[in-house]
Amino acid sequence: MAGSLAHLGAGIGMGIGALGTGLGIGIAAAKAAEGTARQPEASGMIRTTMLIAAALIEAIALYTLVIAILLMSKP
Amino acid sequence: MEPAAHATSNGGMIDILSIMHAEETKKIIKLPEILGVDLSITPPVVTLIIATLLICSLFYIGSKRKELVPHGIHVVVESIVLFTKETFVLDMIGRQGLHWWPFITALFIFILFNNILGLIPGMATPTSNINVTATLAIIVFLSVHVQGVVKHGAIKYLRGFVPSGIPGFMAPILGPFFFILELILHVFKPFALSIRLFANMFAGHVVLLSFIGLILMYKSYLIAIFPLALTIAIMALEIFFKMLQAYIFAILTSLYLSDAIHGGH
Repeated sequence: MAGSLAHLGAGIGMGIGALGTGLGIGIAAAKAAEGTARQPEASGMIRTTMLIAAALIEAIALYTLVIAILLMSKP
Repeated sequence: MEPAAHATSNGGMIDILSIMHAEETKKIIKLPEILGVDLSITPPVVTLIIATLLICSLFYIGSKRKELVPHGIHVVVESIVLFTKETFVLDMIGRQGLHWWPFITALFIFILFNNILGLIPGMATPTSNINVTATLAIIVFLSVHVQGVVKHGAIKYLRGFVPSGIPGFMAPILGPFFFILELILHVFKPFALSIRLFANMFAGHVVLLSFIGLILMYKSYLIAIFPLALTIAIMALEIFFKMLQAYIFAILTSLYLSDAIHGGH
């Protein structure tokens, strides 16, 4: 019973983590597109900044993944 | 068929974690244990050694002949080195950080080679092992704080943890509070750094193995086409992510070093 609940928790937790991270990266990409459209000559710098921000946000989903894997390894 | 032996352990589902664990801890050369540490050569260690040899030979051949107009491997080495100088050292730290240039270049190249070599079938990715990334993060942590203490002196560096401008009567209460907060933040940084790299590399392998696992689950040649096509697409994406993670690790290192050199706040 406890093992099944741990597996359920891993799935739900990963889903919520992915939801927040997806929203975050979406906002970052939207703002980057907006900035590039407004000022095309700054596109290189905007892309670099966006990639760094996206990788930092993505890491939060990966922390959730680590927790999910820890939960999954429970028998 | 080795992976199929693990496959039925979870009621028909593929047990991805145990397959990965079995692949990573397979002993190629058996060596004795010293002080509880197993010194056996496992696939990640082989990749580490190959990566180190590749980097050493690349840089040795590339920098052997000093010409005004470079060609061949010299161009590759020079462009890598100038790229790290521009983006990591000069843009993030400034001229005072130029003595960290070799360190950041070594870190970037080492992580990049280890990440990319893991994509070759049959080789393990050392950076998808938490011990390797934790070691790298501890090296970064120590160098950041040693740099801070050498630059400012121990007392002044530790005082820099407390923000200036706290009103006089509040200082005895808020000062220690901010100091402990900043201390926790500094201790947490290497954890975040190591888990970020480890989880990114590990997640890539889990996704790839999940798609391959579909073939093992359905055992049909018709179904096998789609996972294989998806695997190739994800492999291409993985190359990009692996380069990006090496870049992120190096740029965060230079950010922390910049904080230590310029006194933080």
